[in-house]
Amino acid sequence: MEGNDNLAVALTQKALAAGARPASLISDALVPGIQEAGELWNKNVYFWPDVVMSTEAFRAAMAVIEPHLASGQIGTAGKVLIGTVAGDMHNLGKKLVIDMLRCANFNVTDLGEDVPATTFIDKVKESQPDILGLGCYMTTTMPEMRNIIAELKHSGLGSNVKVIIGGVPISQEFADEIGADAWGKDAFDAVEKARRLVT
Amino acid sequence: MTVKDLKGFFLQPERPRVRVFAQMHDHAMFLAGVPARTFYWDARTFVDTIAEVAAYYDMDNLMAVADAYNFEIEGMGAKMIYSDNAMPTIDFRAPLVKEPEDLRRLKTPDFYRDGRLPYALDCIKFGTEYGVYLSRFCSPFSMAVGMRSYPLLIRDMRRQPEFAHELFTFIVDEVLVPYLKEHKAYCGITVTRGVDAWACVPNLSVKDMKEWVVPYNQRLMAKGEELGMAVSSNSGDYNEERPEKFDAGILHGSFDVEIASQQSPMLFMGMGRWEEYPLEPVREYSARYRKQGIRIPVTVGLNARLLRDGPVERIVSTAKRFIDTFARDHELSIFLANIPMDTPPAHVHAAVAAIHTYGRKPIAADLDKIKFRMPERESFQEWRKGAH
Repeated sequence: MEGNDNLAVALTQKALAAGARPASLISDALVPGIQEAGELWNKNVYFWPDVVMSTEAFRAAMAVIEPHLASGQIGTAGKVLIGTVAGDMHNLGKKLVIDMLRCANFNVTDLGEDVPATTFIDKVKESQPDILGLGCYMTTTMPEMRNIIAELKHSGLGSNVKVIIGGVPISQEFADEIGADAWGKDAFDAVEKARRLVT
Repeated sequence: MTVKDLKGFFLQPERPRVRVFAQMHDHAMFLAGVPARTFYWDARTFVDTIAEVAAYYDMDNLMAVADAYNFEIEGMGAKMIYSDNAMPTIDFRAPLVKEPEDLRRLKTPDFYRDGRLPYALDCIKFGTEYGVYLSRFCSPFSMAVGMRSYPLLIRDMRRQPEFAHELFTFIVDEVLVPYLKEHKAYCGITVTRGVDAWACVPNLSVKDMKEWVVPYNQRLMAKGEELGMAVSSNSGDYNEERPEKFDAGILHGSFDVEIASQQSPMLFMGMGRWEEYPLEPVREYSARYRKQGIRIPVTVGLNARLLRDGPVERIVSTAKRFIDTFARDHELSIFLANIPMDTPPAHVHAAVAAIHTYGRKPIAADLDKIKFRMPERESFQEWRKGAH
């Protein structure tokens, strides 16, 4: 629980070399580690630097494990497409959400930052995710979320995909106003909401 | 109202009431219908527009602050994203300092040539015409985040602290001290305050802030004194997103950081969810000043999301609660904390009217006996036609 990515990689490699099953390493080591980080966050023991370092360690260990996994062994909780809306470059929160979702066994595709509405729509059509995640940091880019949700409905895709939104200026009221299915107030909350949306 | 009258509006003697002011650049731009590429490039348009909108809302002070987190970094060559509708933003995907060697290649910007630094200086200068003799700059921690990105900076602080110290020292000595010198030389400013939204709880722990934020704020304060300037930073804001995680001990630690970063004690509660947090822990902290007979200045923010989402009744009751808690024995100001672009003007009018109604000095013993009436106001466009 030191958020040490070098140590996480070394321990993962050592465990694999010793014959540990890759899927077990995820479920018995990495996931409990991130869950513990979440608990420490909830108790005000961890702050964002600790969470960021923990997720970086998780990401580094996952990169070692993933080549050893058969397809279909991870990402079974649901498929998520996620991106920051057009005009917005902020990606810290989105990266944390992605790490947390992957840790919760979601299959996540990151569309990046400054993503035009048309790209979100095209990608939803193409990959048919369970959840579309939209992030923004500035109040001037919030209206993009409304446009994307309206376009999803207009394209007849609205009933097939749940939309979760997040970012500093976002609130539950705004989520309700634009017809989003959920608001993730932080990365841990986003995962909880995502779980609820797919069950 | 002529431009001269508009300036007079902000220069009139202080009225006996709790003061309200706002950070509202995006909202003012939207309300006045100014294109972003004019608003964030033309200092005269920016300052006059902000002043008009502030006068429309009957604010007590003008806060003519644009995208204050960007200027110095942009001036050093950071990749920026410019848009027709939104304020410029740093492209965090391509940080200015990707590797430590990048820092060693950076130089003090030319404040009269590089990026939008000339615009930033003109905004400060034109603000003085409206009585704003307080300039803003980006404080060392937030500037380090803008130059390096938050994850990389955190990694530096944990894994290569020597480099992190080198970065903070560069920011103070090679960027901010020369920049503040120009605030004084070009704008006639001797009092300045850094914006530091990144240095808040929970972005950092109190321990991290005491180790990494306060020392460089104080280094800048000391160097500012050598320039004949009073320098402070708004570091240490308590901004916990989940009210259920509110912790009085951590709040008090964040106040310690604030006070250590300022010329004189003042409590700044800027961006947090103060409509939901308890206020008694703030009074517990300020008791040490009250016992000495000091009315410590307290600035408390009406949260941006509350301002946008409303309802009006909640905005009014929150302002009333702030006044009831602090205004009788603290120097209270209420800050409309970065009014979102599309906030209904009626919400802002309600906030200002509530603050001026309940905040009339001397503060009434029982605010419930004061009748609040929601003002009926014309639109900004109608007001503007009548004003000019």
